[in-house]
Amino acid sequence: MFTDNRYPDKRYHSLSVLLHWLIAGGLLFMFASGLYMVNAEMPKADQYKLFQIHKASGVIMLWAIALRLLTRWLTHQPPLPSELSVKEQKLAKLGHLALYIGLCVMPLSGWLMVSASPFGLPTFVFVDWIKWPHIPFVERNKTIESLARNTHWIVASGLLLIIIGHIAAVIMHKKKQNIQLLKRMWWFKNDQN
Amino acid sequence: MHYLRFFALACLLCASTFVFSKSNIDNTQGIVGFAGEHAGMAFSGEFTRWNAKISLPPEASPSIEAEFQLASARTGDAIYDETLPEGDWFDVKNHPVGKFTSSNIEAVDNGYLVEGTLRLRGKTLPVSFKLNENGERLQSRFAIDRLEYGIGLDSDPEADWVSREIQMTLDIPKP
Repeated sequence: MFTDNRYPDKRYHSLSVLLHWLIAGGLLFMFASGLYMVNAEMPKADQYKLFQIHKASGVIMLWAIALRLLTRWLTHQPPLPSELSVKEQKLAKLGHLALYIGLCVMPLSGWLMVSASPFGLPTFVFVDWIKWPHIPFVERNKTIESLARNTHWIVASGLLLIIIGHIAAVIMHKKKQNIQLLKRMWWFKNDQN
Repeated sequence: MHYLRFFALACLLCASTFVFSKSNIDNTQGIVGFAGEHAGMAFSGEFTRWNAKISLPPEASPSIEAEFQLASARTGDAIYDETLPEGDWFDVKNHPVGKFTSSNIEAVDNGYLVEGTLRLRGKTLPVSFKLNENGERLQSRFAIDRLEYGIGLDSDPEADWVSREIQMTLDIPKP
């Protein structure tokens, strides 16, 4: 299904490519706003508004990631380049699994934290008529809130490290084996290589 | 026989006049509002459903009794409107109605001094305010301490986010 791709063995499906880069941009914003809203000195009003924006953006990230997983499941994946050693292939698969796990845990732990928060503030997705519900049965549960908060922080740090590894691997394989991995995740003409 | 009937009717009329000498007013005629600060930003709102019975001096036994539906608080901000009815704030599930009952009303220059109790979240605390005469209206502004009523006690006990002092505003017609 989804026959957009003339080179299914060379690159990912268009929707996967689009979502990959949108999520990458979104993550950049989530990391920046998340670190800034917790650590920076600023008026309370700005901090409050930034929290609401981070929450609303998190909902959109959750949907984008769900859609990305769905696309991955429904479309053909280009096989890993044959130049990679067996060990490298294993490592690549493990790394991508870790990326997906991190991507899923981030919005879910954020959602849980917000749902269990003593503030009990609702989440509106940028407009008053889209209200994202809280997870039930955890209302004002400080134990669960702190559990979710720690998870959000630890997984964020881990995800950042894996993303750095993800980018480093692209550069490393280019230098070491001259493999253009980036072409798998963009709409390059794949006629040569 | 006719005279008796007339007398009875007159009695009934007098009694009902006596009973209903208190003036009934509600949210269609005035404003019961509140205002404060959240995260350094001013907010204000009003209760859109309330009713009151008012009689003021020189009536024989002046009194004010007011009930307002806490679920009817509207601020114009969806996040506030969603949060206010919750358990830690107005707790409308367990305490749907706020109530003011006067204990003493005195006529003073340009208005009335009112003393009484305000019941919120199941707590009844003394309050007093001056109703200022302004043409055909009576207006007042006085502060209450939200933490004394346990409002937001769990979420924000140090008033880091929501001001401890909440200004109540009244604007009602003269009875």
